[in-house]
Amino acid sequence: MTTFGSTVNGTAVKIDVEGPEAAVDVLRDQLGLTGTKLVCGGGVCGACTVTIDGEPAASCLTPATALRDAEVTTIEGLATTGELHPVQRAFLAHDALQCGYCTTGFIVDAVSFVDRWRADHGDTEPDRHTIADALAGHLCRCGAYDGIHRAVAAACRGDHDEPGDEPGPQRVDGWAKVTGEAVYTADVRLDGMLEAVIVRSPVGAATVGPLPADAAEHVVDLLGDHREVVWAGQPIAAVAAETLVDAQRLAAELPVEISPKPLVTDPGTARAADAPEVHAGKASRSAAPNAAEGAAFPSRWDGNIRTQRGSGFLAGLARRRVAKARRAGDPRLVELGVGTGVQLHSSFEPHGTVADWTDPDHLLVWTSTQAADDTRRHLADRYDLDPGQVTVTADFVGGGFGSKLNLSADMFAAIELSRSSGRPVRCVLDRREELTATGNRPGSSTDIAILVDDDGETRAMEVTADAHAGSAINGAYGMLMLLMYGRAPKAVTNADILTNAPPGAPFRGPGGPTAAWALESAVDQLAHQLGRDPLDLRLTMDGNEKRHALYHWAKDLDVWKERGPVGADTGRYRRGVGAAAGNWLYMVDPDTEVRVSVEGGGRLTAICATQDPGTGSKTLVANAVASVFDVDPVEVDVHLGVATGETPHGPTSGGSRASASLHPTAVEAAEALKEQIGSRPTADHDGMAATAKRGGDRGIRAVPVTLPMGIQIGRGFSGALHVSEVEVDTLTGKVRVLSVHAGLAVGTIHAPDQARNQIQGSIIQGIGQALYEQQVIDPHTGLTLSSNLEDYRIPQLGDTPEITVHFHTEGWDHVPGGGVGLGEVGSVSPSSSVGNAVFHATGWRPTHLPIRPDRVLEGLR
Amino acid sequence: MITVPTTLAELEVPDGAVVRAGGTDLQERLRSAASVGKPAPQLVDLTGIEGFAGITETPDGGVRIGAGTRMSAVARELAERFPGLAITTASLATPQVRNHGTIGGNLTQRTRCWYFRHPGIDCVKSGGEGCPGRTGQHLYGVAFDRSECVHPHPSSIAMALLTHDASVELADGTTMPVVDLLGDGVDPTRDHLLPDGAVITAVLVDAPWPGERGAYFRSISRFEAEWPLVECVVRARFEGDVVAECGLAIGGVATVPLRVPASEALLTGATLDDATIAAAAHAATDGANPLPQTGYKVDLIAATVTETLERLRG
Repeated sequence: MTTFGSTVNGTAVKIDVEGPEAAVDVLRDQLGLTGTKLVCGGGVCGACTVTIDGEPAASCLTPATALRDAEVTTIEGLATTGELHPVQRAFLAHDALQCGYCTTGFIVDAVSFVDRWRADHGDTEPDRHTIADALAGHLCRCGAYDGIHRAVAAACRGDHDEPGDEPGPQRVDGWAKVTGEAVYTADVRLDGMLEAVIVRSPVGAATVGPLPADAAEHVVDLLGDHREVVWAGQPIAAVAAETLVDAQRLAAELPVEISPKPLVTDPGTARAADAPEVHAGKASRSAAPNAAEGAAFPSRWDGNIRTQRGSGFLAGLARRRVAKARRAGDPRLVELGVGTGVQLHSSFEPHGTVADWTDPDHLLVWTSTQAADDTRRHLADRYDLDPGQVTVTADFVGGGFGSKLNLSADMFAAIELSRSSGRPVRCVLDRREELTATGNRPGSSTDIAILVDDDGETRAMEVTADAHAGSAINGAYGMLMLLMYGRAPKAVTNADILTNAPPGAPFRGPGGPTAAWALESAVDQLAHQLGRDPLDLRLTMDGNEKRHALYHWAKDLDVWKERGPVGADTGRYRRGVGAAAGNWLYMVDPDTEVRVSVEGGGRLTAICATQDPGTGSKTLVANAVASVFDVDPVEVDVHLGVATGETPHGPTSGGSRASASLHPTAVEAAEALKEQIGSRPTADHDGMAATAKRGGDRGIRAVPVTLPMGIQIGRGFSGALHVSEVEVDTLTGKVRVLSVHAGLAVGTIHAPDQARNQIQGSIIQGIGQALYEQQVIDPHTGLTLSSNLEDYRIPQLGDTPEITVHFHTEGWDHVPGGGVGLGEVGSVSPSSSVGNAVFHATGWRPTHLPIRPDRVLEGLR
Repeated sequence: MITVPTTLAELEVPDGAVVRAGGTDLQERLRSAASVGKPAPQLVDLTGIEGFAGITETPDGGVRIGAGTRMSAVARELAERFPGLAITTASLATPQVRNHGTIGGNLTQRTRCWYFRHPGIDCVKSGGEGCPGRTGQHLYGVAFDRSECVHPHPSSIAMALLTHDASVELADGTTMPVVDLLGDGVDPTRDHLLPDGAVITAVLVDAPWPGERGAYFRSISRFEAEWPLVECVVRARFEGDVVAECGLAIGGVATVPLRVPASEALLTGATLDDATIAAAAHAATDGANPLPQTGYKVDLIAATVTETLERLRG
């Protein structure tokens, strides 16, 4: 043990280290400065950035000993007088954040850059490249890069030097996020808390022996009676100890016998008759993980191929028409075989849970979830408690993107170890676990055929859609193609190709980008084949009125009007413009309730057991209440993220249901309160409250049943259109996206800044899927090799194109509030628009995502 | 557990101990090892040694770069006289890593192979047997297959130093050419051939050529901050339009960075016209024997050398 002094945020501190600790460990765990976040642990993402003697450092890679006799500044040191630093104000003003988990690292580094820039160049604005270059050591998974860029540029200009000059409306929880005061699950530390580690399968297929009762002092089994593991990283057990290091050692030494079996990780190999069977026998098949939110469809198993009963409309006729056109060489038939890689959610706050079950009658859970209230009910079910005996807190959630909808192993580990130890227990995943074991967007292989008539009306569509959801079933996405481009005969066959790879999970617009990659590539190819403008052809093929408005909007864009023929450029750098359309369902949680009250001396207060994983739901509720009372949204205290037996039920942040569930309900509750108290709340009204319930929409619904997890599918489809401009370097195979224009038909927008930000984020994630992101599995062990943020490549600030967002607000009058959610529909078509732009630039049709340099070089050879 | 010597005389590296400077490579490996319950090794922290950091000019016009000199300082202070080395250094990793990582650490970092770095996998380089990447996933692997190990060497700076015929100075006062420090890359257990217990105290670079110019390019899929698929550095002295002397090396393609005498020979005495550039770029691919998944790197070597030479031409 070495002890030394350091000055942290102006205060002299004593630091004790053994030697191997990194600075971030000491800052967070010893000094309690949890505004500094640990994300990648490899110096890639910059979330842990602090300055040491004025120089920005990735504190995860900086030895703690480097703090000796140093001046250290963390995010907590920037606003010590209670007044924000100009860069913090700029981040608020430009909504340069979503979930907030990368924000503090960005800000600490940006402060350093802005100071240097202004010292050298005065109050001028740096160009985009300069800012991206200076902040190249940062990543943002939500994709708030456009706001980050604007915020840093504005701070360099000196726009935010004076307090109070940031324009509203702001993200109401932004202040906590830019100061590091926001407490995420990974920051929760309870007295007497143990640290837990999950013991995972080291191989993709094995039989696991029983867990000896005395295997460790604090240990729980996570596998149950079925002792076969089917993916590497699958939870087997969990152990807890006083420190994380002790728990890691115990986990490594846990005496559980693991007998490896033959495994298969490649979907192509898995199809072979002699491939090892991933789910052999009924027990394994019924225990197979589910990649989707809903129940499994009826299906037939043949080795590793699980085929769903065919779906479609006049499927036999569709097949006959396609076959006939193929035989005749009909030029109105397009056929493509395409595929997508597996995309990882990579939420920056890892999955994690702190559980305190020291009072047997009350289970307290802090967890990083998109579904606080559902989690409360499901945990009560699982542990035989009354739902009122469980409290789930998810005040700040560092991203989820679909990976945090369900109960997860970290919850079981922390809860069960707390029960057995009588102590609070924390279980937070490390980056490798997060990128291995928390779900993914399944990969795919699709064969698609579309036949049109002379006008371009669809005559038939035939699709074979193979999902690669690893060891999970229900990766099906083909049926989404039935919902677009007319009511012609269509035949869709969905299958899961099972492998010993980590199971898939919902990921923004589940199946949407996967289906679009086939469908939108095929429509684009068809337009080329027919010599038609791709937007004109869609105007013929697509009957959706809202999307028609978007096609007309896009045809008027300069970038589209100036678009030349395919492959017109012949030099090294070739530019192209591509379009792709998206479609999604409108969903709502009719059981949503919001209570609006007056508290604490006349403060308007809204409460609901939902959460804000960066989507802006806190701001949306504040806006709703503020609109009724005609006040600034920051005058409304919004309490989301705590689910108890007392809090009004809130929707899951998934399936694009939160906005349409929350906004009209909050408005209705606020109006009811206003009836009681008049338009000016005062301290006299403290304690007065009104609660409203969303209920279903009047009139017809698309699906007249309520699905599991409280979803109703309402009437109408939301629509999107993305127009992307790319530049392809034909020498090095690198593709850059220069600009993206996004059009969204989701009705009235209730939180415009946050909505735009989220749409930009889905474009960034779509660019990641299109160009860089790809899970890589070792075929020998089944382990995930792309389980760090160097090898799993997500877009950077410098990869961010110029983005414009257009909202078409008509067509949703039948929905209370006039608008629906946009998290999913905005995610469907970005990657396909990039692919179509690459085709337009080069004349080469990319068929497989991601469009890596090696694939471009091969395609152009 | 950790010792912090303050002078070279105090510096002692016991068997099994690991030296640490900036920590930007080691800390990731320590965290990763801890995640699977491996105890941390004894550490020798070099940052307290007097004179460990800093760049000084040598009497013959060269420079002595203290091993503890941060990469950001190398990039900044050598930009004018050693442009190839400086641009290479400025282009690697991220600003935060360049701010705290040292030149000595950059030369002795371990491979970035995803098998080697995975705590659940053993390979010949991490104390196990064989190379799982060879029969597994090696999209980012070598294009010159000369070792059992198939992942490229990680040091861009080593590549640039090859073109300078630079040396390293060791704590015992001896020196070792960088080309010998790297070796031929055939031994799959090593990333460098520094003797056990030896510590680099400085990098020695001879005087630059008069009016020396340099260029660097790294082929990657994203904006920056990504390990190179292929990288290239060139330094040259021009007489008018003619290349009088030059050094060219490529990285990301073999278990050591490769200097390319064949390309240098084609460039020397020539003007940088398109045909010369194409010939030099093609020559850099001579002898490539890519793996099943790295065939693209052969084209990319030619592309990367072409881009680097076009940048040199200006």
